[in-house]
Amino acid sequence: MASVLWLQGGACSGNTMSFLNAEEPNVVDLIVDFGLEVLWHPSLGMELGNQAQKIFTDCASGAKPLDIFVLEGTVIEGPAGTGRFDMFADRPMKEWVSELAAAASIVVAIGDCACWGGIPATDPNPTDSTGLQFHKRKKGGFLGADFVSKAGLPVINIPGCPAHPDWITQILVALAAGRTADIALDELHRPQTFFKTFTQTGCTRVQFFEYKQATLSFGEGTRTGCLFYEFGCRGPMTHSPCNRILWNRQSSKTRAGMPCLGCTEPEFPFMDLAPGTVFKTQKVSGVIPREVPEGTDHVTYMAHSAAARVAAPQWSKEDMFVV
Amino acid sequence: MTTVDLHVSPLGRVEGDLDVRVTIDDGVVSSAWTTAGMFRGFEMILRGKDPQAGLIVTPRICGICGGSHLYKSAYALDTAWRTHVPHNATLIRNIAQACETLQSIPRYFYALFAIDLTNKNYANSPLYAEAVRRFAPYVGESYQPGVVLSSKPVEVYAMFGGQWPHSSFMVPGGVMSAPTLAEVTRSVAILEHWKDEWLEGQWLGCEIDRWLENRTWEDVLAWVDENESQHDSDCGFFIRYCLDIGLDKFGRGVGNYLATGTYFQPELYDHPTIEGRNAALINRSGVFANGQFSDFDHLRVSEDTAHSFYKGSGLLHPWEGVTDPIDPADGAKEGKYSWAKSPRYDVPGQGYIPLEAGPLARRITAAAPGAAAHQDDDPLFLDIYHKIGPSVMVRQLARMHEGPKYYKWVRGWLDAIQLQESFHSKPVEHESGKGFGSTEAARGSLSDWIVIENGKIANYQVVTPTAWNIGPRDGDGTLGPIEQALVGAPIADQEDPVELGLVARSFDSCLVCTVHAYDGKTGQELSRFVVNGNI
Repeated sequence: MASVLWLQGGACSGNTMSFLNAEEPNVVDLIVDFGLEVLWHPSLGMELGNQAQKIFTDCASGAKPLDIFVLEGTVIEGPAGTGRFDMFADRPMKEWVSELAAAASIVVAIGDCACWGGIPATDPNPTDSTGLQFHKRKKGGFLGADFVSKAGLPVINIPGCPAHPDWITQILVALAAGRTADIALDELHRPQTFFKTFTQTGCTRVQFFEYKQATLSFGEGTRTGCLFYEFGCRGPMTHSPCNRILWNRQSSKTRAGMPCLGCTEPEFPFMDLAPGTVFKTQKVSGVIPREVPEGTDHVTYMAHSAAARVAAPQWSKEDMFVV
Repeated sequence: MTTVDLHVSPLGRVEGDLDVRVTIDDGVVSSAWTTAGMFRGFEMILRGKDPQAGLIVTPRICGICGGSHLYKSAYALDTAWRTHVPHNATLIRNIAQACETLQSIPRYFYALFAIDLTNKNYANSPLYAEAVRRFAPYVGESYQPGVVLSSKPVEVYAMFGGQWPHSSFMVPGGVMSAPTLAEVTRSVAILEHWKDEWLEGQWLGCEIDRWLENRTWEDVLAWVDENESQHDSDCGFFIRYCLDIGLDKFGRGVGNYLATGTYFQPELYDHPTIEGRNAALINRSGVFANGQFSDFDHLRVSEDTAHSFYKGSGLLHPWEGVTDPIDPADGAKEGKYSWAKSPRYDVPGQGYIPLEAGPLARRITAAAPGAAAHQDDDPLFLDIYHKIGPSVMVRQLARMHEGPKYYKWVRGWLDAIQLQESFHSKPVEHESGKGFGSTEAARGSLSDWIVIENGKIANYQVVTPTAWNIGPRDGDGTLGPIEQALVGAPIADQEDPVELGLVARSFDSCLVCTVHAYDGKTGQELSRFVVNGNI
């Protein structure tokens, strides 16, 4: 049995909606079979008004033990450090976050917003939004670089916009089952078991990437090719299991012909969505991708590319995902 | 007379954080104030960005209706760039948008709304034990499958969009994907399963065509008693329980409605324009105010900030809107109390009035005269409106009525996809243009206004269904739709005012949606605001 309190700061509720898509376990299994006790959740909680406030104050004071504090959404610090852009239960939400993070055994950030600010923190960051322990890639965020929860852990980040339901449920189950020691985190506090691999790992277009064959148009154009060359796909530079653990049990963005936006990385949305950057690969000298796959460089990339194109078999220039 | 001022913060399960303050006179709500307590400033983020940034950013305004945000932002660009949209792309956009709503119908009903039906305030009802058995959170016999099966329709969304929530696969000129045969056949299979297991098996207790035969309120009552299966279905039980505990008696609201419509007939909208929009819609647009129907015209939409945390108080069309946020602590001194603005519509001959958005608005609009052959033409809810008036129950039934209807439409659209034909026409990315895109999210009318200048966004504005419904008083002191709907609600227990929850939740508002749906002319204002904050 583990108690969970889930609150939303500067949030869209997308991670909650994603969570509700879960199967094995689904949200009902988590509670009925795995013994997660959801003390309150904005979409699921029974209590309102004073009754809800009492749960929060009891958790903050320690009167009610809080095993896992989950935050979805940014911590809003504006205007001028007051936090009044986000009032919750009669106080700035950031005050609740401070107290509850200090009281909880384990603190989990779900989704980019809570991890590092996400879209609300995009330039010009109108609400002074930040993540729990990171601001974009910089460690610190709202709770500070040195924060550790009562269990001695930093904030566990489950990024994504939204996070995949399985990433959420499996980590919650692991925490509730006492497997905390098995959750190895990377330098961005992401569980490595999910975020060591690339979005490209398992992508159905990887053979086209191998031979440098580009998708040249959307729609029927995505029956062939790789989206990295023209449409700004970040699959080779983004760490996620999106093509290992499929979305809604069916597909992934890249499988469906949509370029990966890199939403499990702190820089999302990349280049702050500046004119000319959306769904377009940024290039140098008109042909070479400005960003090349992680761990390589332009010279190596070009050499590999030239060889790959020579080696490209005829099928790699034809439609593969046919009717 | 006993007057009580009751402040409820937070009022949960409305998707986002809502605060409600009501005055109660002798056990009945006499006035109400609704407060949206959060601001994120999306419009400022969009300003100066890539014209297509809205396809990525606006779905993240609201994770509940992100697909609806994507749908209307794609059409805003289609109209601004004067694109060609192949028929297949229109069909897939329709399918995806409708599947998001099919997800929302059971998820909202069981996870957010029906829990209140198990409140101890209704323990005296002879049907109470049955309500608890069905709807109790997590353990209810209907709650479990209802919530779990709600994830099925969005599996179909993922088939075409890669994932739900938060795909950006609809782009000006069409969609990014080109399905193979298996994506279409699996979609059919998933929907069939969902229909058998939940829509017919659990919710209706009959075939969807039998339900859709209902044309009047008497038909609905006769349907309940027609056989045991329908009588004992969740829908049959819900109607009986509502009538027993009086959910047909309060939550009336303003009684005036707005639908901007959604889903396009492919051959009528392959060159999307603002002017051609109404005629191409399948789910019709329209306004119903004080008993009169009129055509929807986006130029008649304005927003008022008299009681919202922004400077100024005038009525401005979104294309001319100014948003100038102020510290809520300062706003409170001027009587302002919400981050939501108050959208108003200039009804011909009636002036600017608040209108309710949502499924009931759509259902009433569907009964307007003059439907074309391709358009939804359904008299049921206008009949119910005239016979028993709007209420918590009627609003809820309107939402649920769309399940069978949309299911049939999606199946038809899936059948119409021509797999060998085109799904995208590359658009000319014009340096400048103005666009308007709109749809019906599960919870009501959702619209974008975009202005593109010099290859970037000069202004971007979103008006959400939640803003329509949850907005505060306007400059004339006229209450917003939910505020008005709260008036007259009986409060049995002030320590646990479940009736407030029922009324507010019957609108299925997402506060996360409301509070950042403002225009883009604020780029220079926050610094001024910070100065104010320091004073």
